Amino acid sequence: MWKNYLKVSFRNLQKRKLYTGINLLGLTIAIVSFIAISLYIHHEWSYDRMYTGYDRIYKINQEFISEGQNQMVGTTPSSLVPTLMEEFPEVENGTLVFDLSIFSSVMVDAGEGNQEESRFAFVDENFYQVFDFEILAGNKAALLSEPNQLVLTESTAKRYFGSAKNAEGKLLKVDGKDYTVTGVMEDFPSNSHLEFDFLASFKTHRHGTNPEWSPSNYYSYAKLKPGADPDAFEAKLPQMVEKHLGEMQEEYGFKTAFYTQPVSGIHLGDKTLGSIKPGTDIKYLYIFGLVAILLIAIGVINYVNLATAEATERNKEVGLRKVMGADRGQLFGQFVSESMILTFGAAVLSLLVIYLLAPQFAGFGGVPLNLGLLFSPTGIGLLIGLMALIGLMAGFYPSLILSGMEPIKALGNKVKIGGGAWVRKSLVVFQFFVSIGLLIATLVVKSQLNYVQEVNLGYQREQVVALSYHYNMRENIGTVKGEMLRSGAAESISLAADMPIFIKASYSIFPGGDNSKEFMITGYSVDKDLVKTIGLELLAGNDFSEKDISRTQGYDSKTSYPILLNEAALKEMGWTPEEAVGKTVNHGGDLVLVKGVIKNFYFNSLHHQVGPLAIFIDPGQANVLLVKIPAGNPANHLATLEATWKKLIPDRPFNYKFIDQEYAQLYQSEVRVGAIFGLFSGIAIFIACMGLFGLVSYVALRRTREISIRKVLGATQKDVIGVLASDFFKLLGVASVLAIGFGIWFSETWLSGYANRTSLGIWPYMIAILAVMTLAAVTIGYRSWKVFSLNPSKTLKSE
Amino acid sequence: MIQLKDLDKYIESRFQRIFILKGINLTINEGEFITLMGPSGAGKSSLLNILGLLDEDYAGEYSFGGKDIKSMKDKERSSLHKSEFGYIFQAYHLIDELTVYENIETPLLYRNVSSAERKSIIADLLDRFNMVAKKDLFPAQLSGGQQQLVGVARAIAGRPRVLLADEPTGNLHSGQAREIMEVFQELHKEGTTIIQATHARENADFGTRLINLIDGRIEKDEVIIQK
Repeated sequence: MWKNYLKVSFRNLQKRKLYTGINLLGLTIAIVSFIAISLYIHHEWSYDRMYTGYDRIYKINQEFISEGQNQMVGTTPSSLVPTLMEEFPEVENGTLVFDLSIFSSVMVDAGEGNQEESRFAFVDENFYQVFDFEILAGNKAALLSEPNQLVLTESTAKRYFGSAKNAEGKLLKVDGKDYTVTGVMEDFPSNSHLEFDFLASFKTHRHGTNPEWSPSNYYSYAKLKPGADPDAFEAKLPQMVEKHLGEMQEEYGFKTAFYTQPVSGIHLGDKTLGSIKPGTDIKYLYIFGLVAILLIAIGVINYVNLATAEATERNKEVGLRKVMGADRGQLFGQFVSESMILTFGAAVLSLLVIYLLAPQFAGFGGVPLNLGLLFSPTGIGLLIGLMALIGLMAGFYPSLILSGMEPIKALGNKVKIGGGAWVRKSLVVFQFFVSIGLLIATLVVKSQLNYVQEVNLGYQREQVVALSYHYNMRENIGTVKGEMLRSGAAESISLAADMPIFIKASYSIFPGGDNSKEFMITGYSVDKDLVKTIGLELLAGNDFSEKDISRTQGYDSKTSYPILLNEAALKEMGWTPEEAVGKTVNHGGDLVLVKGVIKNFYFNSLHHQVGPLAIFIDPGQANVLLVKIPAGNPANHLATLEATWKKLIPDRPFNYKFIDQEYAQLYQSEVRVGAIFGLFSGIAIFIACMGLFGLVSYVALRRTREISIRKVLGATQKDVIGVLASDFFKLLGVASVLAIGFGIWFSETWLSGYANRTSLGIWPYMIAILAVMTLAAVTIGYRSWKVFSLNPSKTLKSE
Repeated sequence: MIQLKDLDKYIESRFQRIFILKGINLTINEGEFITLMGPSGAGKSSLLNILGLLDEDYAGEYSFGGKDIKSMKDKERSSLHKSEFGYIFQAYHLIDELTVYENIETPLLYRNVSSAERKSIIADLLDRFNMVAKKDLFPAQLSGGQQQLVGVARAIAGRPRVLLADEPTGNLHSGQAREIMEVFQELHKEGTTIIQATHARENADFGTRLINLIDGRIEKDEVIIQK
């Protein structure tokens, strides 16, 4: 019986090559998208679940509580972990990670010259007990237990020494200090929130032997004993704060609290400031998951529509089979087996496509596709289950219709599959609602991204490069700057703590003598030429001068230590720009002088409003050298800068970043969402239009006789298309109205994440609806033309 | 075996009932070979459809083997339909996607006949109709007469007691038609009850009884004496 079903199904599919092709293509595209999205979601979900007892590992975050402003940070003092291990019996183990890259990069020398490395961290000797990564070389029990020891990841070991085995016992100079490589670990998995190339023993660090309660620069992790209640543990933390930090809090007038965060929740739920690896907003995963399901739904709907379209051609076969004794169940089985064959065919094709395109997907989604998972027994099992479900969903309705036909009517070619027309109509409305909706969403995301890229940030992003600077270069930085300016490849140069696109350091500030007005301000430490280099606008007062540099060198004349404030800071103070100049303020504990006022500029992502900002001179904190290069051929200017650099600072590599490119990086996840939306809305529209083609075919076939009669009576092609198209355009109209509703909701939701947002107007809606309508019109027009071009004498005779 | 009492079939239109069959009273005994004749629209096909349980939309009584069809449950009726009737059509109505062999096999599949038994039944039929060499061909590759032979083979594969044939020779030329009629005669001799609708008077001579239908009524019911 089944053999027969399969044989007949195969022959039927073979015979209807166009329908089979459309269905196969639609389902394959939908399934490929579904698998890719599923693997992506799984990857994001699987973060930090690979450690033994991961559900007992907690990261400790710290909250700073100051008036009206609470800030959760991911880092804690170095004393926290030792204290937790000593005073809390439920803590089985704890470890500390000090990510050096928040402060600066390091120079690593294996005897072949310095290389700049940024993924360098200090960890304590418990690290591998808590996070049991695979150790490829070295004694796991004693790793990093002594000062000046180093563990490399496998690929780092290969990079420096050719292989993991070779690396063990070798010496590496890091910032001039000797380290012994005592172990090699596997590369950090892509789904770990930890990501480094070098791990050095924390004992090397001053805090490693003398932990303190300040500053808070260290990531702390606690692994609780099995059965320990994390809430009870968290509830005891305030007592610890009181015991160890009570006095300090009293003295300096601040408050702090510690909270636990499950390690597996870091990637998707991180709301803290400063993390080792940027997290993913779980909102995106929900959106992508929904999109995946919608795409499958569109593919399935296609099959349903096309299969019911086919029904008119198959009524004879169905009637015959019934006459020969087939009961409904048997026919149902046959038609479902057809949809199953198609679905499984599509699944096999999808696996092939996924396999071949895996690298492209990885590049697109930003994470590697875990093909191992897909081709594992679980993965294949799930896939088979999913395909069976899809096959059944797709086959159910058409099978119901086909198997329910009355035999004599079917044989007499007088079939009317009129019943359930509303089902088909609703399906079409749904398909186009999804297509138009996704397209609107894409346009909303893209137009905000365009806005973000083109908005005037208040400083000049173009033609500014950031060269990496290190404290060690302070001796000859003056010469470097001079040479670069003289070479003509630089118009202006300024040292700065960071690039102006994202300034993080935070200070307290209040007008001199009035600490009731204290508020938090972002601080930007630079040297004198920042305003000129990035083109800031001075509203009042003066820019820094050469003299200011020397003034800041000695600590005796703090009152003349100059700073620049932005408008937002003035608003907090309640001053006009003119009033502000010459006032003294207390900035981070020092009395300083407001020398000038600058216009607000965006020093954070556009998700946030421009906050108060203080610019002050402190070349000691600099990490970058901002260089404004002349217009025209940047490659030439960079070559000149590099030559100067190589001549004067031969021991440090020349690394540069364009500010505008780095700025674009801030919106990487949005760009990715935009691209994914764009791709999937394209796919949805494509599949939906194929479905529309099938449906128009169905209607055209059913109405061939009517159209032929109209033609005999003198109808033109336009009239015929009008007859066929009007019904569909009503459906598209309904879909458009629904999609507009969705679009309004979506743009509100999406743009609410931005403090500075584009004004959309109606054009995304217009474009989306027009684009889809046009495609639909082409599809309908083509099919109608084919019906119209039939010879009426033939079509009428067959009745 | 079959008894129809006051059987009417009509279409309800807005102003009047259009009768397709009216006041049919008919008794058919096992082993008869009946020919239905009459002009187009006389109701021959409608009567065959009702007899073959393909059409349940009628008024009046129909009993098969003493059992009233209308009082049967769906399942009972469907199994009666499967086990007792075979159908032959004017347009052959073979399934285009299936080979000769598979076409004949189809009704057996729906009757859940075992694979070995199916093979032997089909082999016998192919042999009987001299079609062994053509068993793997598709309908489109056969002549009309051959297609109708496959149609007959398919109709009798399930060993039905009643064979219903609607214009079985309508699309065939006289030589082929004769061949089909001889097959019918043979089946009749083996005990199959046959009811055929036809336009051709000469076909009636192969049967035992001739019923003339005009405008949905039985006009004449006569016994044919075999020559």
